[in-house]
Amino acid sequence: MKVLVCLKQVPHSDARLDIRDDGAWIKDDGVKFEINSYDTYALEQALRVKDAGEAEVVVVSIGPDRVTQALRTALGMGADRAVHVNDPEAEGSDPLGVAKILAAVAAEESPDLILTGFMSEDGNFAAVPPMVARLQGIPSATAVVQCEISDSSVRVERELEGGAMEVVDLEMPCLIALQTGANQVRYASLKGIMQAKKKPVDAKTVADLGLAGQVGASAVKVVIEKIYRPDKGEGAEMLEGSTGEVVSQLVGKIKELGLL
Amino acid sequence: MGNILVVAEIQKGELREASYELLTQAHAVAGAGDAGRKVRSLVIGSGVADAAAEFAGKGGGDTYLADAEGLAAYNVNGWEAAILAAAEAAEADLILLSNTPSGWDVAPRIAAALDAAFVSDCFKIEADGDGLALYRRVFNGKLDAKLSVSGAGPVVATMQPGACAAYEGTSQGATHPVEVKLDGAKAVFVEVKAAESKGVDLTKADIIVSGGRGVGDPEKFTEVIQPLADALGAAMGASRPVVDAGWLPHEYQVGSSGQVVQPKLYIACGISGAIQHLVGMKTSNFIVAINKDPDAPIFEVADIGIVADLFEVVPALTKAVQEAKGG
Repeated sequence: MKVLVCLKQVPHSDARLDIRDDGAWIKDDGVKFEINSYDTYALEQALRVKDAGEAEVVVVSIGPDRVTQALRTALGMGADRAVHVNDPEAEGSDPLGVAKILAAVAAEESPDLILTGFMSEDGNFAAVPPMVARLQGIPSATAVVQCEISDSSVRVERELEGGAMEVVDLEMPCLIALQTGANQVRYASLKGIMQAKKKPVDAKTVADLGLAGQVGASAVKVVIEKIYRPDKGEGAEMLEGSTGEVVSQLVGKIKELGLL
Repeated sequence: MGNILVVAEIQKGELREASYELLTQAHAVAGAGDAGRKVRSLVIGSGVADAAAEFAGKGGGDTYLADAEGLAAYNVNGWEAAILAAAEAAEADLILLSNTPSGWDVAPRIAAALDAAFVSDCFKIEADGDGLALYRRVFNGKLDAKLSVSGAGPVVATMQPGACAAYEGTSQGATHPVEVKLDGAKAVFVEVKAAESKGVDLTKADIIVSGGRGVGDPEKFTEVIQPLADALGAAMGASRPVVDAGWLPHEYQVGSSGQVVQPKLYIACGISGAIQHLVGMKTSNFIVAINKDPDAPIFEVADIGIVADLFEVVPALTKAVQEAKGG
């Protein structure tokens, strides 16, 4: 079985978010990046397929040179090889542009199973995975917290509201977008990291994938006009002062509420 | 310019509130333009003709009806086929869905099928000249974004449930059946498993003390969060990252995929306030948020905010509560 895992490198969850001068995204110089947390569950799921039998795990990511780090980490965890779409022509793509690139990679790789995270921690669109599946003409399921993989199909549990689960059978090839908490993600071992150095990373351009002029900033259908700090509205009354002062105000408030 | 297609959802036999919220948004966009856009709707299910008629009269306008046994439960292939058929029949160039488990599962596929612009989880959509301005959260609620669509092609958007009021107007509309080809589906619905009964029922607690990723590790829940909960006679809750990391079982999770709570007092410690958590607690009577990040979105819904290290404030608060109760 061949499993393709799509990874995105995103700003670290603790990174300070400074808005760029043009207002359209955050400044990413000096920002520490990490693999999107949702995608780590997808990678773990793929590695479990490999642990359970014969499987090749290929990871793919789009982005500049810094993305090499994410791919090396994935290879260190146990993926077999990587595809890195490293091309300025891909930069600034909207979710459909990203999906077109990943679908083109999927078309070249012909995986039985595509695993992704449910959404990215930066854009929060949750758009790319079902788009890739539709472009490839295969079924998809999102917010998946459990999958049972057999030879030709996958039974998944999708998270619904309030803790209910929807059970769906997907015929392979298919795409599964994992929710966080779906499994316990492993760490890369030292041995794994050493071995990863010898594993192949295949660099691709947009033109290699036959998508010249179809993706990237010039082809977007959705434009981010600006990002901004949310309007706090009335917001909270902020308590200030020493810990003692803050706590005594808080205790006073809890008494007012009749709860003390 | 084309029409607007609202994809309604039925849950437990009833049209969802979120579907009427879509109508509010659809009518606002239709009314703002001078292009004579009409609001059209789609109801999908099995034996849902009455629901479609109801929706048609309550703002949905002419309503397409995809009614088949195979559509009784959500199925990605069936929904995709129904929505594409209705969008074509309605001559729609704006398709609105709710950002629900069904909506987020199918909407991006519709956008890919139509090569359309796609924007998810909007809290507001406005007509902006000939185009649209769409507003949504990014970075897990830490920042907002204003987006626009370029080009004349179709747009697919999902709306955050609860972001606007439900539509209360009426409309004249007929229902029109649409044929949906269901054979050859590659995704097959099996069943819905109800939520497991909770060992911890947070919905009945008067006070909840919740911890988030900022608590740092599972031991700190026992050392710092639990003592405050005990002192106040409160239940202990947690945000999703805590449960994902295995620090506490799922039954402690407050949020859209956990328990939705409304206590008299909710104290959020080290919780940044991702939307999925806020949905589960923002209607609490009184909310206190303690977080070291002044930009944490939790402060937007809090009544009282404290920008501080929870490891200083929470133990001091525990002690003060114990003293207040003791004396």
